[in-house]
Amino acid sequence: MNELIKTYRKIELFFGNLKFAVVIISIFTVFLTYGTFMESYHGTEYANRLVYKSFIFMAVQFCMFLSILFATLIRLPPKKHLYGFYVIHAGLITLFLGSFITYQSGIDGTLTLAPNLPARQIQLSQDEFKIELPSQGKEVSVDLPFSAGEKDLKLDYEGIKLKTFLPFSEDKLSWIPIKIQDPSQSTSKYHLFNENFGEFITLSLHPESDFNNTQQLGPLNVHYMPGTLFECFIKNTQEGLIVWNSETAKCLSPQSNEIIKRKNISGKQIAEIDFFGTKVSFLPEMSPLPLGPDLELNENSPFRVFSKKLFEKSPHLFLFGEAVAYFDKTNSEWQGQKLQKNAPHPLPWMGFKINLLENRIDAYGTQIPHYIKPIQDNSQIISGEMKAVLVEVEGKEFWVRSNSPVSFNSDNGKIRFELGKKLITLPYELVLDQFKMDTDPGTNNPASYESFVTLFKGNKGAEKHHVFMNNPLKHDNFTFYQASYFQTQQGPFGSVLSVNYDPGRPWKYLGSLLLVLGSIWHYVLRKKRISKPGASHA
Amino acid sequence: MLKIIFTTLTLFISLNVMAQMQFCTNDLEDFPTRSGGRVKPFYVLATDTLKFISGSTKVGELSATEAFCKLSLKAFGMPLELPIQIKVEHVEAKKLLGIPESETLISVESFSSKIDLVNAEISKIKENNSYKKELNKIKQRWQAYEAIIQARLWTIPVLNAGTIEFISLGEFLSPEKLDEARTQSSNPIQYLFAKAKSDYLSKNGDQYLLELKYFKWNFFLWAMIGSLLAIILLISFKNQIPGLILTTLSIGLQIGAMTMRVLISGRAPVTNMYETVMFSGFGALIISVIIALYRKEILFLLAGLGFNILSLMMMKFANGMLDPGISPLVPVLRDNFWLSTHVTTVILSYAALALSWILANGLLIRERFFNLSSSEYRYGVDLIYTCIKFGVVLLSAGIILGGVWADYSWGRFWGWDPKETWSLIVLLVYMAILHGKSTSWIPPHRFVPLVAGAFMSVMMAWFGVNYILASGLHSYGFSEGGAVFLGSFFSLQVVLLIITSFRLKTTQSNSP
Repeated sequence: MNELIKTYRKIELFFGNLKFAVVIISIFTVFLTYGTFMESYHGTEYANRLVYKSFIFMAVQFCMFLSILFATLIRLPPKKHLYGFYVIHAGLITLFLGSFITYQSGIDGTLTLAPNLPARQIQLSQDEFKIELPSQGKEVSVDLPFSAGEKDLKLDYEGIKLKTFLPFSEDKLSWIPIKIQDPSQSTSKYHLFNENFGEFITLSLHPESDFNNTQQLGPLNVHYMPGTLFECFIKNTQEGLIVWNSETAKCLSPQSNEIIKRKNISGKQIAEIDFFGTKVSFLPEMSPLPLGPDLELNENSPFRVFSKKLFEKSPHLFLFGEAVAYFDKTNSEWQGQKLQKNAPHPLPWMGFKINLLENRIDAYGTQIPHYIKPIQDNSQIISGEMKAVLVEVEGKEFWVRSNSPVSFNSDNGKIRFELGKKLITLPYELVLDQFKMDTDPGTNNPASYESFVTLFKGNKGAEKHHVFMNNPLKHDNFTFYQASYFQTQQGPFGSVLSVNYDPGRPWKYLGSLLLVLGSIWHYVLRKKRISKPGASHA
Repeated sequence: MLKIIFTTLTLFISLNVMAQMQFCTNDLEDFPTRSGGRVKPFYVLATDTLKFISGSTKVGELSATEAFCKLSLKAFGMPLELPIQIKVEHVEAKKLLGIPESETLISVESFSSKIDLVNAEISKIKENNSYKKELNKIKQRWQAYEAIIQARLWTIPVLNAGTIEFISLGEFLSPEKLDEARTQSSNPIQYLFAKAKSDYLSKNGDQYLLELKYFKWNFFLWAMIGSLLAIILLISFKNQIPGLILTTLSIGLQIGAMTMRVLISGRAPVTNMYETVMFSGFGALIISVIIALYRKEILFLLAGLGFNILSLMMMKFANGMLDPGISPLVPVLRDNFWLSTHVTTVILSYAALALSWILANGLLIRERFFNLSSSEYRYGVDLIYTCIKFGVVLLSAGIILGGVWADYSWGRFWGWDPKETWSLIVLLVYMAILHGKSTSWIPPHRFVPLVAGAFMSVMMAWFGVNYILASGLHSYGFSEGGAVFLGSFFSLQVVLLIITSFRLKTTQSNSP
């Protein structure tokens, strides 16, 4: 027993010591300072993951709690001149208690209200990975770790392995080697730029690539095609037709005298072309598909036809790996040029230039998420917002990105993966009747955000509420605050309410009151002072 | 149609150039106009806008009111050229615009040919760094100038269906209105303006004119002179009565100015950096008076006057960093109860801690350069301790009130927001010092420099969060006013601590 008391005394002396208090306050301050800079650089979520909600920070806070607790216990039984001190420390302990209750049992999320649609699901900040096996009627949810950096998951669910979690990531171009090289399945990366604008574009013809073979950049349409078609594009013919074999990627741009034209029964023009010895017939005004022997459109044929005239009215840029073609309106002709790496080629639109950065047939380009620290600018995350989980099923690895579900056809049926936020469902519904944003007179500066909502309480009827800044809706221990808004595609505004349930609130208020009263008692009301040198003592 | 209006007006005005020249006088200062969501005297709009564009409230010999008016009439063909210049502060921006580093202005004529260059440069820079911010600001200055000369910025009140509406000057001076006015007066423009003003006054009263008095009377300048004279008199003469009278006068002037500001804005005067500096200076003086009376010690008053003068000087001379304009609040701050309690309490705590900072630096300097007995030093330490006690209590209360407001408004008591976290850091820094003071780690000779240095945490919470942390990643150009000010303050404080620490090392054995 004596040993126990001795050990307790030692612990009490260690944690209740003023020097320990100075050390732990200083460490706590360093953490906070670091956290604010991280918040400024990388955003609130990163700072929370790295500092404020990290285990080590929790441990520092626990040491603070021990310091406060033992500093009080060591000064018992109560002494009159320390009454203020006791009240301050009781207040701090109560505050810690309240915060712990909130941490354990509180709910802090958001409720998104689209106009006139019922909503009851609160989105929490916790990341969740869902695996659905519809054929087996199973659904599994995995809480992902609240880490700031890349995390090995090492989770296995019936052969489905969750390998890595990236809480902040960005897609980067990666090259996957191809065993059998095929020039018609190339991938190329270009830089399209002028004085005011610059965009890196990657285009691919490989079926497994994440990149498409077309891209729209404002009014400009970019098309990526096999290199063998280049010669047909730059050949200026009166008809402007290009016929090509999608299997061999061979093409032909016939002159007028190389096309035999006749009319079918319904008066439509049939064009017959000799494609390197094979006669192919088309209805060029109607379809890119050729006609079969029965004069019906033949979907199984590898031949296609199209008219370049379709691409002469608006800006279309055709890229062929190491070549470029476009219609030059000034000279009314199709032009083309072979491209060399890092030798920008001028285009006929707004001073734009195209620069070939990479062209590969030995590998195809794909997007692989890479971990990056997020970057914040004006309270908005400008890069690194995407989260991703690396999954392995039946020996195949693939990434599941946040809010972009993936379906996988396994031997046991279809599996659906989704990375999102944890949701909880309220036992009642809210409907946004109207969102209103007032502006200061004569300006576009917002003066108020207001949500007019109807709360449907099941059998208990409905209530109308007006939620705005500094005027939350309180219902069933939950509080709903006006947080944000958004515009729907249809036009009207939707509203985002932050939702909060805080069972620690009364403790925090009590602790705060004790802290302030104790501070006044201890620091202001105690009259302990040094007299002015030379003055007589009172 | 617009061409017809312009042609008509050009003809009309060109026939009356002299009359219009006489129209643009300082008599327009009290004309009601609406800008930035508020009705204000034309003087305020003209002064604020020209100051924003060029950094000066005068254009040659012309006042801001006269210059703004004449520039606005350019939209109607007034053949007048005024030497308007656009302020450029960033070194990179000066390079881009081809102006020497030593100069800070570019004429609007030169700038007009470079606006495309600025636009291109803005679109090239992806990060919102200090250079991009400066280019955007320069662009805004140019746009403000364009808005003046196109008669868009100056809005005129018109009576429409029994209520007052504001329309731009361009719309107001329509040919129809002028034709109608010509039947009433030989000077139709003056007639229309007189009618617009009279309509506004009859409907909405002359409450807006208080703002004109506020800016014209310049109470804060007089208060600064009063505080400066008071401190000189209190230091120079044994008789403290004249110094105390001037102190009272300064306090009265500041109360008057703040009351006017509250009446104009309709809210507590603590909603932007200018107002927090204003309120902290005033708060420091009031707290110093209270502690001086409580402790019967004039040193507190000297410290309070010292900080008050510093604050008033910042308000007067640091307009690049502190904007004296009165603007509507963002929605979340529109709660007078919490503004008046939480923000004022925190600012008052900074004021009390500022007193401890002045006293600590004063004690360090006195100890370094003058003779100071150990009892005087201990007494000085006690005075500093008194200020910190007030500061700590007020700061604790302020943080708690902030937590309660956040809980009430956003549903969370604490959210690790940089502003609230830094206020907690300040409290912790002072708590560490106060706890350490009771150990052998922080004896008096360490306590004083620590308190002097600790005020840097207050400055970081007060200015740093707004001017450094809020500017985001890679924006440490130290080119923005606040960052330069803060950097200079930290450097000066560190230099002072280094200089005074040499003495401490050599005379530690004699120290208390």
